[in-house]
Amino acid sequence: MRRLQADVVVIGGGSTGAGVVRDAAMRGYKAILVDKSDLGQGTTGRFHGLLHSGGRYVVSDPGSATECAEENAIITRIQPGAVEETGGLFVATPGDDPEYGDRFLAGAAATGVPAREIPVAEALRREPRLNPGIFRAIEVQDGSVDGWQLVWGAASSAIEHGGQVLTYHPVTRIEHDGDQVKAVFCYDQKGGEDVQIDCRFVLNCAGPWAEGITHMAGLPPVPVIPGRGIMIAMNHRLVNSVVNRLIYPADGDILVPVHTVSIIGTTDVKESHPDDLPIPRDEVQQMFDAGEALIPGFRRARALHAWSGARPLIKDDRVSASDTRHMSRGMAVIDHLERDGIKGMLTIGGGKLTTYRLMAEHIVDAMCAQLGEQRACTTADEVIDFNNDPPKNYVITHRLEDREEDRLDDQIICECELMSKRMFVEALDEQPTGTLDDLRRQLRLGMGPCQGGFCSMRAAGIAHDHGAIDVERATGLLRLFLKNRWIGLWPILYGDQVRQTALDDWIYQGTLDVEHLPVPAEEVVR
Amino acid sequence: MRDAIVIGSGLAGLTAALRLAKGGKTVSLISKGPGGLQLSQGTFDILGYSPDRVSDPLDAVGALAKTKPEHPYAVLGADAVREAAEFVAGLVPDLLAGDPASNVNLPTAVGAVRPTALAQPSMIDGAVKDGNAYVVVGLRRLKDFQATLVAGNLDRAEVPGGGSVSARAVWIDVPARPEEADTTGLTYARALDDPNVRATFAKAVAKQANAGEIVVLPGVLGLDDHDAWRDIAQIVDHPVCEVPLPPPGVPGLRLFRTLSALARDAGVRMINGSKVIAKRVEGDRVVSVSISSAGHAREYEASAFVFAPGGFESGALAVDSYGHITEPALGLPLSHDSAEGLIHGDFWGSDQALFEVGVRVDQSMRVLGPDSAPVYSNLFAAGGILAGATRWREKSGEGIAAASALRAADTILGEEK
Repeated sequence: MRRLQADVVVIGGGSTGAGVVRDAAMRGYKAILVDKSDLGQGTTGRFHGLLHSGGRYVVSDPGSATECAEENAIITRIQPGAVEETGGLFVATPGDDPEYGDRFLAGAAATGVPAREIPVAEALRREPRLNPGIFRAIEVQDGSVDGWQLVWGAASSAIEHGGQVLTYHPVTRIEHDGDQVKAVFCYDQKGGEDVQIDCRFVLNCAGPWAEGITHMAGLPPVPVIPGRGIMIAMNHRLVNSVVNRLIYPADGDILVPVHTVSIIGTTDVKESHPDDLPIPRDEVQQMFDAGEALIPGFRRARALHAWSGARPLIKDDRVSASDTRHMSRGMAVIDHLERDGIKGMLTIGGGKLTTYRLMAEHIVDAMCAQLGEQRACTTADEVIDFNNDPPKNYVITHRLEDREEDRLDDQIICECELMSKRMFVEALDEQPTGTLDDLRRQLRLGMGPCQGGFCSMRAAGIAHDHGAIDVERATGLLRLFLKNRWIGLWPILYGDQVRQTALDDWIYQGTLDVEHLPVPAEEVVR
Repeated sequence: MRDAIVIGSGLAGLTAALRLAKGGKTVSLISKGPGGLQLSQGTFDILGYSPDRVSDPLDAVGALAKTKPEHPYAVLGADAVREAAEFVAGLVPDLLAGDPASNVNLPTAVGAVRPTALAQPSMIDGAVKDGNAYVVVGLRRLKDFQATLVAGNLDRAEVPGGGSVSARAVWIDVPARPEEADTTGLTYARALDDPNVRATFAKAVAKQANAGEIVVLPGVLGLDDHDAWRDIAQIVDHPVCEVPLPPPGVPGLRLFRTLSALARDAGVRMINGSKVIAKRVEGDRVVSVSISSAGHAREYEASAFVFAPGGFESGALAVDSYGHITEPALGLPLSHDSAEGLIHGDFWGSDQALFEVGVRVDQSMRVLGPDSAPVYSNLFAAGGILAGATRWREKSGEGIAAASALRAADTILGEEK
C-alpha cells in the first residue's frame, strides 16, 4: 500500500478533471488527479472536435451560448496549440425553416455571440463543396480543438504548479470519517499496488461515470445520464471551416475539420452505462444522410473511423428523461454536504469541452466556499506551453513543415499522420507503460486512412526495441491496437475503407501471420 | 480481335495469359495496376490453415470439398492445385522451390511461423525446425523489419512438430542511399542488384553471425538479380533466409516482373494502366470489354474472356455506403449482394464473411448466375474474385489463383480443339 497526502483528490482525467486539477494547483492546493485509464480516454476523446462559438445554443440555451463565446476566446488564447481557428458557418439547406436565421441572429445579439450574415455566394466561395441550394449563411467564430492536446496541456500545467496526475488508478473506495471525507483509495494497475490518498476534499469529475464514484463514497445516485452520440471521421477536409445547419439543434448537423479529417456528428441517445456504447448502423446511415444535406456526394467520400461518446448530462425535471438532446448543456455542481450531509465532496456534471475551464473554476470556487477560504482563480490568465513553443494556434500544415525539416534525418513511422520515429520515441519515454492507443491519442498514430495497416507493426517493434517492454507485451500491444482500431472500422466499412481493410488483412494475417503468434496467457488490455 | 482477353495482372491473370499463349492463342492482358503479387509475400501458398496448421496442403485441399463446399478448392480439387503449382514453378524455377504436397514453415516479419507450399530459394534455409539458432539482422534505415520484435517472437515460437528454436537480434547500418534515414525495401532491393553494394552489405552482415546461426534478413536481397541472395550467402558463409515485408513486397515483385516478362515473350499483348468499365454482350456471349482511356472508351473484342481482377483489396469488389456489394467492372452476379450481417466486431474472432463474397463458378470456371447456370458461355473467372475463401487467413491465395486460372485457360484451349 502506497500512501499519499493531498488537499484535494480530483477523480476523472477528462477535460473537466484536468481543468480542475490545474485550477486547484494554481490556487495553491496540493491536488492529485486519478483516472481509471488514460487521460482523455472517455468523453473528452470521443467528441467531434468543435470549439463552440456559442452559435449552436443562441436559441435553445442562451446561458450556454454566452459561456461558450467567452470560453472560446479564452481557450484559443491560453491553449493555442490545441486550437485551430477555422471559423464556422451556419447554413440553411433546402427545406430548413427560413425564419430560424432571424431568431438565430437575434439570439446571437442577445447572448454576445459574434455572428454575421454573409451572402450565400460568399459562403459557397469559402466552402465549394457545400450544397449549392443553401439559402442563408451566418458566419461565427467556431474553431476546432484537439481534446487530447487540451487535456494533456492542462495536466502538464497542473504538474508544473505542483499537481500530480495518476493514470490507470481506478478508485476503489472513498472513505469518510463521520461526515468528513478523509481518503480516496485506488489501485495502481500498472504498478500493481493499492494506493491510499489522504485528503480533505474530493472533486468528482468523472463525467458519465460520476454515479459510480458517489456509489463508492456510499452516497445516493447523482442525476447524471450518459447521452450517447456517434461521430464519423471522413478522410480529408470536406470543409475548410466548421459547418453547422441553421436549425434548432438536431442530429448530424455539424461537420468539423480537425487535423487531416472532417468529423460529422452527432446523435443523442440515452444509455444506461457509459462503458457500453454501441455504434448502431441506423445512426451511421442517419449521419450519411445528414452529411448529404450539407455536402452533396458525402456518401461517396471515404469514412475512416466511427466512435461513440457519452455526454454527462444533468437530469432536468423540465424535459422527459429519455430526451437527452434537450437536457441542459449547462453545468451543475452537486454539493454533497447540502444534499447528503457529507463534507468535502462535490460532483460536477453537464457542461461541454468548450467550457471545461469555467466548469473547473466553478467547482473549485464551490470547494473554496465550503472550506471557507478565499483563493482567486487564475486559469484564464496563464498561457499553457505544451509542445508548442513559441505559442501559436494549430494549422494543418504544421506536421508537414516539421517533416520537411527532418525528412532526411528521421523515419516517418505513420505516413498518414506524418508521425516521425523521434516523436514516437519521445512520447514513449514520457509514457513508458502506455499502450499504443495511449500514444495514439497524443501522436495520431494509426488515425489516418490505413488505420494502423502500416504503422502498427513498426510502432510495436520500436516500442520493444527502444523501450522497457518485453516481446510478449509488445506483441500484446499490437494485438490490442488492431482490435481497438477495428471497433471503429467495422460499423462504417464501405467504399475505399473496405479495400483498405482487405489490404491491411493481407498484411497482418496474410504476410505477417500475426494471429498465429503465441497467444498470451492473458490478453494485454492496458 | 483476339482469341482471349485476360483481365488482371496478378498471379491468376498472368498464369491464364501464359497458359493460353503457350497453347497457341492470341492473348491480350488488360490490367489497371501492377497486380496483386506485390501485395503478397512472394511465396506460393496452397493451404496453410484449415483452420488448424496444415502440413500436407494437397491432402487438406482434398478434404475441403466436404467441409466447405462453397470453397474454390471444392470445385478445383487437389490434382488441379498440384498441376498449377508445378506449372507456375516450372515457369520461374529460380524463384519457387519446394514440394506442393508438403508445407514449409517460414519466419515472418513479426516473428510468427507461417506455413507455405512453395517458397523462394532465398527463404527456404530459414524453415523453422527444432534446434535452429537464428540471428535476425535489422537495417537501421529500414522501418518495416523490426529485428528485435522478429527475434523476440521467433525465440518463443511454437515450433510445428515440437521442439524449440533460439533467436537474437542485431542491427547494422548499411545505407542504400547514404543521404536518407528512411529507406524503403524496394530501394534496398534495387541497390543490392549491384554486386559492389551487396559485397559491402554481406561483409557487414557476416560480422554479426556466430557459428551455427541462420542469418535472417529482410526480404530485400535484390530485385531483378535472382542470384543476389546466393552471393550474399556465400560471403556471409552462413545459411541465409530473407523474410517478406509489407507491400510493396520485393519477393512478390520478383514474381510479377518475371512472369510479366515471360508473358510478353510468349506474345501476350500487355495493356497496362487500363480500367475495364463495361462489356458488350450478344446472346450468351461476351463480345468485347471497354476500358476507360483519354477522351473516350476503347473497346477490345475477343472470343473468350478470363476475369481475374482480384477481390476487395484491388477494388474489383466494392461496397457502397448502403452496404450493397457489387462487381463494378462487368456487373457480374455475386454470392451476396448485401454486406448486412456479414461483418462482426471481433477482430480476432471468426472469419469476416464479407471477405468470402465473390463470383460463383462452375467446374470450368464459368461465372454462374443466381440460378446456378453460367451467365455467359465464354466468360471465366479466376483468383481473388472467386467466392468462398478468406485467402489471407487460410494462406491459400496463390493456389486458388493459379489452379482456377489454369482451369479457365484449359477450358478455352480444350473447346477450340
